[in-house]
Amino acid sequence: MPVASRKAESPGHPPLAIESVAKHFGGITAVDDVSLSAGAGEVVGVIGPNGSGKSTLFSLAAGGQKPDAGKIRLLGIDVTGWPTWKIARTGISRTFQIPSLFINMTVRDNLLAAAVEGDWQRARGRMEDTLEMLEISHVVNNLASELSGGQQKLVEFGRVCMRDPKVILLDEVTAGVHPNIRQIILGAIQRLRKTGITFLVIEHDMEMVKEICDRLVVMDQGKIVAEGDFETIASNANVQKAYLGRT
Amino acid sequence: MASKPVQTPKFIVRAVLVGAMAIALAVLPAFIDPYTLRIATGALMWAGLACAWNIVGGYAGYISFGHSAFFGIGAYTTATLMQSDVGASFFITLLPAIVLAIAVAVAIGGPTMRLRGAYFAIATWAFAEMLLQLVTVLDFTGGTAGLSLPAYLNEFFFYYTMLIAAAASFVGVWLLIEHSRFGFRIKALRDDEPAAESLGIRTNLVKVQSFALSAAITALFGSIYAYWTTYIDPHSVMGPEITDQMVVMVLLGGLGTVWGPALGAVLLWVTNRYIWSTFGDTVIYLPILGVIIALVVLFLPNGLISLLVGRQRGKELISSILSKL
Repeated sequence: MPVASRKAESPGHPPLAIESVAKHFGGITAVDDVSLSAGAGEVVGVIGPNGSGKSTLFSLAAGGQKPDAGKIRLLGIDVTGWPTWKIARTGISRTFQIPSLFINMTVRDNLLAAAVEGDWQRARGRMEDTLEMLEISHVVNNLASELSGGQQKLVEFGRVCMRDPKVILLDEVTAGVHPNIRQIILGAIQRLRKTGITFLVIEHDMEMVKEICDRLVVMDQGKIVAEGDFETIASNANVQKAYLGRT
Repeated sequence: MASKPVQTPKFIVRAVLVGAMAIALAVLPAFIDPYTLRIATGALMWAGLACAWNIVGGYAGYISFGHSAFFGIGAYTTATLMQSDVGASFFITLLPAIVLAIAVAVAIGGPTMRLRGAYFAIATWAFAEMLLQLVTVLDFTGGTAGLSLPAYLNEFFFYYTMLIAAAASFVGVWLLIEHSRFGFRIKALRDDEPAAESLGIRTNLVKVQSFALSAAITALFGSIYAYWTTYIDPHSVMGPEITDQMVVMVLLGGLGTVWGPALGAVLLWVTNRYIWSTFGDTVIYLPILGVIIALVVLFLPNGLISLLVGRQRGKELISSILSKL
């Protein structure tokens, strides 16, 4: 992370704080007065049915879209309305629902490209560590377009790690991957959280959510309808209504 | 790429090949007649122009149809400053030509490179057309009559000037794009702009930088060309066929590769001159060109360079860039 941003960090603030954020697309309210925060090393799961506003919330936090109302604070800094690249340099990094790799570049170059705005001197060493952690050293010289779907998810996750972020947003990072790859990703999340990295995780895999998330936030129709640990959420009537239509 | 080991047998072979090519190009004028020397000078110019266009089209993935404007800016700046009332020497004119091209590229690239695909292509084409019309009506550019420059009838001088400019362009691009952080930035934005932004890459800035670099090289060759031909008019240095030729040369040789544009430029220019000398001033060159391009895009998506180095990554690259149009 850039030195300037480190200096601007406000001690005592949560790494990520979303305050009363709203986003409308024409007449549709995608995110409606959502507030949540995540502490250092915490893994917060964001769940909810399709179209509930989870990915839009991620996009607002990472700067892909500007909120119509509310504030986004990263490390205590108000980053609302900042461009994506500036928010990324401040310490947030994300994956996408569909892996967005640089398909004409090798795995090695995909990872190094993630470090060009950071500590370039240490980039190659970090790349080796990342390749080892995610068990993808054997495909380092392959083009991204030649990888399987699961390998692409790993490389995208690796690219996020190369940014040396404070907050990581994972959008369905284990969706459709082989159980072995899922375990590699879970292991990496557990390892990284111990270093103080905060995770916000969109996930439909309830086993994974139960295994790694400290806390869950449930969204439906753009709003947070429930918040708490897994057991609390599983027995929450609002959640059952959102997912199963039960009243 | 920079991440590969520096000392490998492949590296040594390449270094020997490049060194041999440099020596061959340096001694070439001693073994050819003046007409062939003129063709060789033209080939070097087009190689440099193709290299310049490739920065934006091949590496950044933005198809520009406005590069003739920068060629014209270089040519007209040199021609204007070398008129008898100003009397600047040729080499003095190069710096203002390049600076002006960079300034215009930043002014035009800033807003237009926020557009994508066909919108960017149309915007750059419109900009070039606008500038073409402008030089046609301005007094100091000589209007439709154009401008004459002081004649310097030394083909060796122009050959070596083009050679140095082309070599500097290729080496510069090779270092900057294949061996520096800038290369990672520009290729990342080409492949996936939102993903590049999410990694902290300031894509709008990188795009304008690449456009400005490309414009600067194009203007440099425009300046040399003006002094070489001793006469320019709006269509000879700003006509759309200048950009078209750059695009075709890069596609033929290899989009987004270092040496592909040089290969495409030399082959096309030599073919062009051969047809011209054999059949006279005919349009037969154009259908032949069209067939060659169609065949290359269909069967050699990474251009002719892939026959030499066997790269397999062209299909995705060319389709991902052209699909934006």
